[in-house]
Amino acid sequence: MAQCTLKPDLEFARELTEAGGESLKQCFQCATCSVACPLAPANAPYPRKEMVWASWGLKDKLRADVDLWLCHNCGNCSDLCPRGAKPADMMAAARNVIYKDLTAPSIVGKWMSKPSGLPILFAIPALLWLFVWWIRASCNNGEWFPRAADGRIVFGQIFYGDYTIDPIFMITFFGACYILLRGVMKLWAMFKPEGRMTVIGKTKCWVWHLWDVLWDEIITHRKFNDCEDGPATGKNTPNRKYGHAILVWSFVILAFVTAVVALGHWGGKVIPLIKIETPMPLTFPVKILANIGALMLLCGLALLTARRLRLNPACQGSSFYDWYLLGIIWLVAVTGVLSQCFRLADAIKPAFVVYYLHLVFVWMLFAYLPWSKLGHLVYRTAALVYVRMYGRSN
Amino acid sequence: MSNAILVVGGGFSGLTAAIEAAELGHDVYIVEKSPWLGGRVAQLNKYFPKLCPPSCGLEIQFQRIRKNPRIKCLTLAEVVGLTGRKGDYSVRVRLSPRRTAPHNVDFSLLASTLEGQSPSEFDLGLCGRKGLYKSMPFAFPGRYVLDPSTLSKADAARVAGNKFLDLTEQEREIELNVGAIVVATGWKPYDVTRLTNLGAGSVKNCVSNMQLERLASPFGPTSGRIVRPSDGRAPHNVAFVQCAGSRDQNHLNYCSYICCMATLKHCLYLAEQNPESLITVYYIDLRAPGRYVNVLEKVKALPNVRFVKGKAADAVQAEGDRVRLTVEDAVRGEKLTLDYDLVVLATGMQPSLAGENPPLPVPLDEDGFIAGGEEAGIFAAGCARMPLDVTRSAQSGTAAALKAVQTVKGR
Repeated sequence: MAQCTLKPDLEFARELTEAGGESLKQCFQCATCSVACPLAPANAPYPRKEMVWASWGLKDKLRADVDLWLCHNCGNCSDLCPRGAKPADMMAAARNVIYKDLTAPSIVGKWMSKPSGLPILFAIPALLWLFVWWIRASCNNGEWFPRAADGRIVFGQIFYGDYTIDPIFMITFFGACYILLRGVMKLWAMFKPEGRMTVIGKTKCWVWHLWDVLWDEIITHRKFNDCEDGPATGKNTPNRKYGHAILVWSFVILAFVTAVVALGHWGGKVIPLIKIETPMPLTFPVKILANIGALMLLCGLALLTARRLRLNPACQGSSFYDWYLLGIIWLVAVTGVLSQCFRLADAIKPAFVVYYLHLVFVWMLFAYLPWSKLGHLVYRTAALVYVRMYGRSN
Repeated sequence: MSNAILVVGGGFSGLTAAIEAAELGHDVYIVEKSPWLGGRVAQLNKYFPKLCPPSCGLEIQFQRIRKNPRIKCLTLAEVVGLTGRKGDYSVRVRLSPRRTAPHNVDFSLLASTLEGQSPSEFDLGLCGRKGLYKSMPFAFPGRYVLDPSTLSKADAARVAGNKFLDLTEQEREIELNVGAIVVATGWKPYDVTRLTNLGAGSVKNCVSNMQLERLASPFGPTSGRIVRPSDGRAPHNVAFVQCAGSRDQNHLNYCSYICCMATLKHCLYLAEQNPESLITVYYIDLRAPGRYVNVLEKVKALPNVRFVKGKAADAVQAEGDRVRLTVEDAVRGEKLTLDYDLVVLATGMQPSLAGENPPLPVPLDEDGFIAGGEEAGIFAAGCARMPLDVTRSAQSGTAAALKAVQTVKGR
């Protein structure tokens, strides 16, 4: 009989515990969870095998495990778990620990992993935008809260698009994209088993699989419905689909609005016809769409936060990663809406201060995306594309 | 002051405690809630260790009770109040009306002519019972019970004139003076309706292990033929779901100790009745304590029994009234979805006192087992204290009797 030597990684087991998997040692491998999960495929279902790998500290096994990303964290497994081992929390924790290692520079992942890192995460953009404010105030004759020539409040006077906001956010955005791309390449390399893997039957390019994932799963949120098909748990667990879908759609709308405004601003320099001036009037279609997006964002957040607060801690806990993401989106949404309100109410000092905070939080949301729970936006998508390429999808 | 001993519960441990104390010369009262003695053992087809029918062991106990004038059996009786202290308790007991004459009148002919039916408690709802009924042929005391709520109008007219039946008998209360108390209130099968993922008792041909005992019993609803309740056909493919509601913090947070052995016994019943049947036992861990391991070896050697490690966590109705189980074979790492003719949920034992508020000053642990109370002269025996098999229940009954005797001795 072939001998197999297990190399437990104690550090990894400890990290998992810190990231929200503290109950995993309760597991006695009864396999209820694999049955509870309606998404788990018949061959090599999850999360039982992940539970035993986690408790043995088998880091390499978990890192190479694509199933970790198939899980949509509905919590059926934890609801039915006879031991309160919370497999759903372990899966989430394992994903968070993997973000932390996957993405360079890993120091940001360390800060992101616990509340004590928050001050640094906040200080970086806070100082950056304060510095911008200081420079621009000097350009405005030392006036920190200037008004436009016609007396209106125009944020662009301090946070001027051409030289400050746009370049900084473009660097941030493309930097995050580059970091994520490297992360995705690393993730796929980890998934690939040693040796050659052959796919029998028709194959298609990953781009088409990505297209399928976007249309079949992300736009429709189909997997959230599939999550409801598990065995009756007898516990009231509301479908997360609506809160999550509203939030995702509001992100899409707000991203679209931002792109239109950027196009209007920069494109307007070449083709004056499409020029968009900010602030836009409230009745301008783009502005209307932006405000609809903001309202949807608040609704989605309220639904998801209410659900998370109602979770039974005996079955499903909420880790720092969960609260960080909800918290930062709340801050972005609230400061965004408030800065518009203060601007319209002509309260100049609160308007500028809140807008400054808005920039800080938006920067935090995007710059730290690869290390935060929001990384699932890219990493889970990448994993879903991978499983389609290799035929492990349903 | 009293030298008498009260035994609450007339199951195997209670009977043992009562008989032991009485044979040492003490007056003993047995207070039994149901109409007959014998408790859960009486419902079994066969019981460990020797796999003999319950009549075998219980008949000996009943003989000893019959012969011993010191033992007074109160059936359809419940303790409703307790005052006093160790050595001098005053116990109020409520006696529900039996409505049949004190001597063992054979009502079988009359009962068979009645038409009204209620679900049989003794047969765990597998069949109905009449308004005038006895659980089984060797029931002790051998008296029928008349239950007016089950009688139809015609039934009521039929029983009205019978001089051995008294429809007007009322409930009454009596008071007993005792020095020590043995609490042998036993256990109840865990309520399957709480097992939502295992069908919550609404899936046809998905029965509990106690129901299977009734199906296998010669005095049960099928005269001992193990068949599917839905159509009376012998099952070919049978699955056992171990730990159904046991070792589960959502249900019973402990191992019920007996369900593994019960399932092994059921495998023997099935293999004996139908050697062609295919049996699968889905388990997390198998417990065969002490020499019971021999039974495990014997069942493992049967060609038609297969053991699969993995808890069946989903049971739904499939075509043809079959039961569809989903389970992960944790050794092979495969999720199986299979249909069975009959599925047996190996449900665990829950102490009868769980969720009750007994008028006895005994501390219960979070699961409802008795934990303490001995300083007050109250001693727990049998499954009221912890999950036990019949042998150990009897032993704990003897132990409780000895402690009770020591409490009242020398007054």
